[in-house]
Amino acid sequence: MALHFSSAHPISALHPLLCFFLHDTYPEMEYASGLQRQLASMKKNLFDQGYLDEQFYQLEELQDESSPNFVEEVVTLFFRDSSRLVANIDQALQKYPQDFRRLDNFMHQLKGSASSIGAAKMKNECTSFREFCNKENREGCLRSFQKVKKEHAVLKQKLENYFQLLKQVGPVDKATHSGN
Amino acid sequence: MNERMDPAPTSCGQATASSSTGRPDAAAAATGMPTEFPAGLRVLLVDDDATCLKIIEMMLRKCHYDVTTCSCAATALSMLRERKGWFDLVLSDVYMPDMDGFKLLEHIGLEMDLPVIMMSADDHKDVVMKGVTHGAVDYLIKPVRIEPLKNIWQHVVRKKQFELKELEHSGSLEENERESERHKRAMEEGDNATSGCGENLKNIKRKKEGKEEDEQDVDDQADPSQTKKPRVVWSSELHQQFVTAVNQLGIDKAVPKKILELMKVAGLTRENVASHLQKYRLYLRRLSVPQHHDRHDGPFTSAQEATFRSVGTVDGFDLQALAVSGQLLPQNLTALSSGSRRVTNTGLRMPVFDQMGFLNSGNASSTRSASVQQMNRGLSYFSGFSNSIESRQLGQSHQLVEPYGNVCLQVGEEISGLLNIPSPQATRSSLPGGISNEQVNRSLIMHMSQQGQQFSLSQQQENFHGQPLPRGQIFNGIGGHDSTKFGHQMSPNAISSHISGRTANIAQTPLPGNHINASYSSVPQALYANNIHDSCLTESAASHYPLASSIGDTPATGNVEALSNTSSLKGVTDLSNCNIYSELHQNKTQDWKLETVNISYQSGQNLAPKQNNADFGSSLVAHQDSIATVQDESSRNTCTVRKEILSVTTEIEHEKIECVAQCNSTILVENSIRLKAESMPDINQQEVLYDNIISNDLMDVGKQIPANGKGQGWSGTTPIHLDMDHSS
Repeated sequence: MALHFSSAHPISALHPLLCFFLHDTYPEMEYASGLQRQLASMKKNLFDQGYLDEQFYQLEELQDESSPNFVEEVVTLFFRDSSRLVANIDQALQKYPQDFRRLDNFMHQLKGSASSIGAAKMKNECTSFREFCNKENREGCLRSFQKVKKEHAVLKQKLENYFQLLKQVGPVDKATHSGN
Repeated sequence: MNERMDPAPTSCGQATASSSTGRPDAAAAATGMPTEFPAGLRVLLVDDDATCLKIIEMMLRKCHYDVTTCSCAATALSMLRERKGWFDLVLSDVYMPDMDGFKLLEHIGLEMDLPVIMMSADDHKDVVMKGVTHGAVDYLIKPVRIEPLKNIWQHVVRKKQFELKELEHSGSLEENERESERHKRAMEEGDNATSGCGENLKNIKRKKEGKEEDEQDVDDQADPSQTKKPRVVWSSELHQQFVTAVNQLGIDKAVPKKILELMKVAGLTRENVASHLQKYRLYLRRLSVPQHHDRHDGPFTSAQEATFRSVGTVDGFDLQALAVSGQLLPQNLTALSSGSRRVTNTGLRMPVFDQMGFLNSGNASSTRSASVQQMNRGLSYFSGFSNSIESRQLGQSHQLVEPYGNVCLQVGEEISGLLNIPSPQATRSSLPGGISNEQVNRSLIMHMSQQGQQFSLSQQQENFHGQPLPRGQIFNGIGGHDSTKFGHQMSPNAISSHISGRTANIAQTPLPGNHINASYSSVPQALYANNIHDSCLTESAASHYPLASSIGDTPATGNVEALSNTSSLKGVTDLSNCNIYSELHQNKTQDWKLETVNISYQSGQNLAPKQNNADFGSSLVAHQDSIATVQDESSRNTCTVRKEILSVTTEIEHEKIECVAQCNSTILVENSIRLKAESMPDINQQEVLYDNIISNDLMDVGKQIPANGKGQGWSGTTPIHLDMDHSS
């Protein structure tokens, strides 16, 4: 089977060797390993850049055979609810006079969810928003909320990519594991 | 339910042995090898955030726990009430849209006495402290990791141990101290276990423990002879022995010491006898001057206090007295009891109330009989629950009386006579809290009556005081005092309030659908009163008295709680809260069908709910500690209640004055009655709690409803002395 690996792989140098040994028997593995590497680096970036924190590992540990897509399900759930919450906060911010108490409640909720999945950057922005809220600093709140929204959107995109890649890698993984 | 719980306790026993060596179970569970315990621990998870809910649920499953999730506090409460004794532990978020997590915590503590762990992303010390003071056994900071969750089973074990110990011992001060120390140590260990939560938490925990200890100490100091004493349940046999001894000595010469000697009962203390004697004396006096209820108020009040202490005796006693007098129909008692919060839970209450209504109709005898019948019926229901246990002991009418007893007692001697509570057991107030309530109610009633308000209660109070209301039954107490009056106002009020679940009576936040559930907590009715409000069920705006605090408060106002609670009972019969007074407040319960309810009674009760709340709030404030303790331990409830009674009574009086005869109470009454009817069917299953309370009363009436109620009310952890005692 032809090598599909792009030369962009960090260990592309090894590919030929791998291919040599495996390509006939485990062609998928090669492909998979490349993707896996991609996946691994993507994940590493997410952590290094602070988008995710340790809590995310906790989620991964909960995943097992009985719930193989647990992490993705949770993340999907999170973005579904948080998007709604973000919209509510947006709406609430439009109101005048500002109901800081209500805003704080929303944000507390958002922060709680975000921290549960390990969304570190988002959590931090939520915290700073709450600080502005406590001081009843409307301007500060507005600015801070923009950051929250941004982090929310960025993380959403990144995790979507991550899971997409994970899906690709996953099945191949299984195939290779099964020895085929 | 007990059965279900049994494996846990037994395994707890094993677990404790192993837990001391570390956490082998947890370790085993972690490795995926389920062991007897803590695997299978039934946890109820409450969190409005779907993401967190899913994550924590998965974590708990990884710990091999049996998880049930709930995103709404109201649903959680109803689930807990429905399946009393099913859950071992509750994990709840603090900030929830429909109900404050702390309120839920209070409710659970009061009604089900389950260990509750709070969770929140909020790690501010004051919030964590709040959790501690409200009785949470632990506080986890989100994001929650799996490590602390692996150790949550310890809270279940600890609680069970604590309660067992409490029950076993006859309650010497020393014992209590030892208990507290053990508890404290256990808590500390627990702290270590949950170190994942951080240093802050530990410190806070220590503080909390310290605070708890302090509270306990305070209780101890306040009532040295009573704090933490296991409640003594005055079973009919025991009471018989007592009466024999008294008669032998001569009522004038009967002193506790001699009586104790004559009785030759192991584990009985002089204090137990003394308080029981006091009640008995009151009872006799009531019998001799049935029309002079008011006069009893004074002595009653004081007696109340004394009696409060011995939880068991108070209730049991009164009932007994009642039973003895033969005046109080069992039914009435039940009705009375039902009035109290406890009753409300079970459908029994309903009938009781109805009966009460009958009684009110003025034809004392006829209504009485009618009510009695109802009560008996109601009782039978109850007996199903816990009452059965009691009823067995009581023997007859007073079974119901027990829980209602308080109420009934209040209603008046008449009722007591009717109830004939055979065994003081009923009054035992198996519910630790219950008893207190009774007392409180009684005292409240007394006060009320003294006010001169038309509360029929007041008159009844006199009667009442003799009788320890079963836990919380005190609400009923209101009605209970004047047996004569029973026919009127009181009963309906009490009952209705109770039943309607209106906050007042039912401390136990009546569940809209599960009356029974609500009543379970029959224990500190007063307490429940608060709960009831809170229960998301519905609170009708009625000024709910914080249940926790209500214990203290409600008793006096007994109904104050009920009143406030009533609002919560949307339709729940929880009213059982004895806090009939509270019910009155509730005014809101328009549904009260009982027209007969005394307006005056109501007025007392109607005390502007707000006012009541406010009043109580203030009075309660003082007793916050006591209340808090109550939450923690039923035994403490009793103590707390006692203290509260004093304050409450003043409150009540205050309220009485304020309350203008309002028809609200009537409405309440009606509601309660209505509710009762509805709840009746349900009660059978649930009123485990009631068992304790009502059992005394119901005994007669009911047929010993399968003792499931017996221990079920309390998620298996109820210190049901009932079980111990009345299984005769």
